[in-house]
Amino acid sequence: MSVASDARPGERGSGDGFFARLRGDFANSERRTGYTMVSPSLLLILVIGAWPVIYAIWLSFQRVIAQETSFAGLDNYATMFSDPRFHSAVINTSIFTVLSVALEFVLGVGIALAINRGFRGQGATRAIALIPWAFPTVVSAIMWRLMYQQTGGIMQYIAEKIQLVSGPILASEQATLFAAVFVDVWKTTPFVALLLLAGLQVIPGDVYEAARVDGANALQQFKSVTLPLLKPAIVVALLFRTLDAWRVFDLFWAMSDRTVESLSTYVFKGVRISQTEFSLGDAAAVFIFVTSLVIAAFFIRGLGSQSAGEG
Amino acid sequence: MPRRDFLKAAGAGVAGTALLGSTACDGFTPAVEGTSNSLVFSFGPDDSGVVQAVIDMFNKKMGGKITVEYREMPADTGQYFDKLRTEFQSGVVVNDVIGADVIWPAQLAANGWLEPLDELFTEEMQSDYISAPLDTGRYNDKIYSVPWYADAGMLYYRKDLLDKNGIKSPPKTWEELYDIGAKVAGAEGLGYGYVGQGAEYEGGVCNGCEFVWNGGGEIQDPKDLAKIVIDSPEAMAGLEAGQKVVSSGVAPVAFATFKELESLTVFLNQDAVFMRNWPFAYGGLADPALGTTFDPKKVYEQVLVTTLPVTEAGQENFACLGGWTFAINALSSKKEQAWEFIKFMITPEIRETFTIDRAAMPPERSFYEDKKLIKEQPLLEVAKDAIASTKPRPIHPYYSDMSLRMAESFNENIKSEISPQQAISTLQTQMQRIADTNVPNPNI
Repeated sequence: MSVASDARPGERGSGDGFFARLRGDFANSERRTGYTMVSPSLLLILVIGAWPVIYAIWLSFQRVIAQETSFAGLDNYATMFSDPRFHSAVINTSIFTVLSVALEFVLGVGIALAINRGFRGQGATRAIALIPWAFPTVVSAIMWRLMYQQTGGIMQYIAEKIQLVSGPILASEQATLFAAVFVDVWKTTPFVALLLLAGLQVIPGDVYEAARVDGANALQQFKSVTLPLLKPAIVVALLFRTLDAWRVFDLFWAMSDRTVESLSTYVFKGVRISQTEFSLGDAAAVFIFVTSLVIAAFFIRGLGSQSAGEG
Repeated sequence: MPRRDFLKAAGAGVAGTALLGSTACDGFTPAVEGTSNSLVFSFGPDDSGVVQAVIDMFNKKMGGKITVEYREMPADTGQYFDKLRTEFQSGVVVNDVIGADVIWPAQLAANGWLEPLDELFTEEMQSDYISAPLDTGRYNDKIYSVPWYADAGMLYYRKDLLDKNGIKSPPKTWEELYDIGAKVAGAEGLGYGYVGQGAEYEGGVCNGCEFVWNGGGEIQDPKDLAKIVIDSPEAMAGLEAGQKVVSSGVAPVAFATFKELESLTVFLNQDAVFMRNWPFAYGGLADPALGTTFDPKKVYEQVLVTTLPVTEAGQENFACLGGWTFAINALSSKKEQAWEFIKFMITPEIRETFTIDRAAMPPERSFYEDKKLIKEQPLLEVAKDAIASTKPRPIHPYYSDMSLRMAESFNENIKSEISPQQAISTLQTQMQRIADTNVPNPNI
């Protein structure tokens, strides 16, 4: 939505301007026809997109037990914010998100730079690199769980040999959390690399040539040419990954066998398993929705996507 | 209310697709309200094929008057329950007879979804039943389910290794078990003195309940089911014994991630002295498909079964009740036919079929005295004491919530992340709060 307003930088920001513009648009018969033409799709988006969200928000202010509903005000949120399980869900999800996205980004940039050079078998390398990403998360989660297991698990064996852990990984919540970060990095780094690679490939070669003529070394070229021009791709990659990681469910549920709580497992337990905490789980779902919006706004505004148009 | 309406609308959608599906006859979506004489019986997948075979017998016997269709539900009981609840909430009749886990009847009956069976399943019929499986079907002084088969936690032990190390009888207390387990495992070079189920899931709840009960504690007041009484010195002693499984070193910390299959695998690898498991594991001892390393001819002399230990000698011992029951959907229009089917399923002949071919332990006492039957299914004699000592998990409309909390605390207790004292006081507060939550009014 910000793309539309970005196109007219002068009119952005004030609500007054928005309505004035709308009035102006409706005065113009051609534009009016345009609005009429898109109205069915707008309506559809409202029904399938906005309605469930509004309904979920409404439910989060209700007390729903079995088949009875009564107004609860902010009670669900108060209970949720004082629930130690919710605290650990927020902490675990935050650690997971920060660590996994940071690692995936650093590794992804490295891999993208490496495979950006033309070499024999480039296509095959890219395809192979994507294999972990193509696995359904539940499958890879269970596969890794087997490898982390105390009896016959290769990862447990290695971790013990290099003295990374002293006990079974899966019996410790902390170790399991880091193990989950590892699996996520294994699984989605190729995806980040591919997104960044796409960004790298649109950078024209003459920019580098000019930099070289000016006497920039490789590091300077990377800092002053590659990074700024790669910014749109970086924003997209970080945005995708952060939101994905923030909503992590299947990896935690299947790999930790429900011992490590994430925000989404908290929602699931409340909404699907519990019979008395439907509204609590729903409130947590709204919390994920709102925080996701904040994260998205941060990446789009904070890191700025305008540069996309400038290149 | 709006949520219910929403689910109703969703249910109509489900029904619509089901009707469309049934014309295509893909066998995946059963016909809703099929022809007047056909019933739908829901139950999890049955690898043995016995359930389908018995249903075929019934259909043949009825000669078309009543036809039962076996609707296969998810193997994971949590998912099966979730699916049932969604269907009930939507108000669509999909199943007429429900194969229900022993922890479900109160949860379903509280919503008015099950038909009370007091007039059909008379007290006279109930007289031979073991009390725990019957109790799980009672809610508000009515009975809602007929026990199908029972499961109980039992202690498997290596008789041969105990003999070899001069130990004459299996342990009666947890303290003894840990001593013997550590000693024998050390002498024989085994990795585990004891294995059971410590993971955070329903099986872990069963193990945890057994620790509480075998310490002399109770979770739910047997006289007043709305009262949680886990905050007692006895329950704490029980959970202390539970924590010692790992802290004493008789089982490694990985115990906290074990489910039935993990513990059985260790035991079948001959890497453990003791194992807490359900009756199904008995057949597994000689089953090469499960990877047993025992000699099938000798295994039943090497491994014997007894009841679970207690905290202090002389205390009564209990085993967690598992198993399945039959219940009738309150919304079904074919309740009489449904009862005909249940009556057939509990006739002695059919019970014997399930006992022999499926190793399902009958809930009636007389079967355990039947010499001829025992000869065909020795497990009857082996499991007899454990089944007789069964106790149901808390019976409450919101058991699912209680189970979530227990799974969490019991698992943390085993990992020593919380003390037994913390475990019981946390559970006391949390479970009492759940027990105090308004129970739905089925008339709405």
